[in-house]
Amino acid sequence: MIGIVVVSHSRALADAAVALALEMVGGSPPPIAVAAGAGEGVTGTDAIAVAAAIDEVASPDGVLVFMDLGSAVLSASMALEFTSTDAEVRLSDAPFVEGVVAGIVLAAAGASLADAAREASSAMTAKNAQLETSPEPAAEASVVSNGAVDLTLLNPLGLHARPASMIVAAMGGLDAEVSITDTASPERTVSAKSLMGIMSLGAAGGHTIRLEASGPDAARAVDAIRVMAGDGFGELE
Amino acid sequence: MTVADVTLDQLVDWLTRFRAFVTENQGYLTELDSAIGDADHGANMARGMNAVLDKVGEPETVDALFKTVGMTLVSSVGGASGPLYGTFFLRIGTSAGPVTSLDGAALAAGLRAGFEGVVSRGKAEAGDKTMVDAMGPALDALDESLGSGSDPATAAAAAFDAAQRGRDATEPLVARKGRASYLGERSAGHLDPGATSTAFLFQALAEALA
Repeated sequence: MIGIVVVSHSRALADAAVALALEMVGGSPPPIAVAAGAGEGVTGTDAIAVAAAIDEVASPDGVLVFMDLGSAVLSASMALEFTSTDAEVRLSDAPFVEGVVAGIVLAAAGASLADAAREASSAMTAKNAQLETSPEPAAEASVVSNGAVDLTLLNPLGLHARPASMIVAAMGGLDAEVSITDTASPERTVSAKSLMGIMSLGAAGGHTIRLEASGPDAARAVDAIRVMAGDGFGELE
Repeated sequence: MTVADVTLDQLVDWLTRFRAFVTENQGYLTELDSAIGDADHGANMARGMNAVLDKVGEPETVDALFKTVGMTLVSSVGGASGPLYGTFFLRIGTSAGPVTSLDGAALAAGLRAGFEGVVSRGKAEAGDKTMVDAMGPALDALDESLGSGSDPATAAAAAFDAAQRGRDATEPLVARKGRASYLGERSAGHLDPGATSTAFLFQALAEALA
């Protein structure tokens, strides 16, 4: 499992971001280390502390580092001069909260360093798309193509962060490519392995999502999502 | 070594004088930073340089001295000046090596390596309204003065002159790096705090070598 390092000017900010992410992790969380503040209550960042945090969570699977702003980025890049681990370390350009959430959820699901880094980096794109998405429902019904499965979202909040992370985690061990479309906004299709992508659909309760799957484990992947959706992702009263 | 060479005592004196400038002008630096940044540059630099002088003791070599200075700054300043000034001093130490004095050429090479470290760390270019705008002209003036046969003391005085001009030239600039860049056009009309502390750095050097 990859290690996660969270670099922030503020210990409270870092701890809260980690806590938010851990709410979405069902199983074992990845190794997480926080490097926040510049000692003695000073707001800021400390490259030596960042290096120690990287070494603390390092394993051959690699380390993904998330930073808030300004000196956090400088301190993290400088920390790479002081680490003792041989593991690959990547500094993520993801926005802080989205990156920490995506990184921790994906690491817990067993994602590789490259996959987790790429997914976290796409967080801003997903947010942009979400804000520009037209809220108007599609006027015309589209034809269900062969092999597609339509599921209605029974839980009131639809595919928000927690259900999205459940889907991503379920896809973790399967050899299948599954796409998800909200039939209310059929112009956008995302991968079931993309936490930020699923969240960016904005698929609300009562919407119908369409799954299309391929690969050796396609049927198992679709079944896994069908079971979770049928249970309202554990959010039915 | 010759009488003109820069000794370890003079290098420690440089740091001591720089500490004095940033602590005496802590309020001024913070005031500059409150106009276009996050109002912590004075406090950060004072805390960092106080920590440095607590740690320095009696160094045996130039590289050991500047390694202590750089590592202390990166873990005590807190803001972006920590990694930037930290990188500056660490690179001077690496460039100088385990020696006990620096001639003019070695001093210039060390400062140049430090400057390149700052540029590479912060990705700032001339005109971005940063410490680079004071440090770049200062080192060009130092090189030119040494090249025309001056001793390190004279060259350091020329560097200080150029650093002041570079600092003053940041006033009309629009910031393109750091927290000040969020202000866009509104960052114009203020001196850059980093360029201002860098001018103190060269004032301290000039006085230590004089």
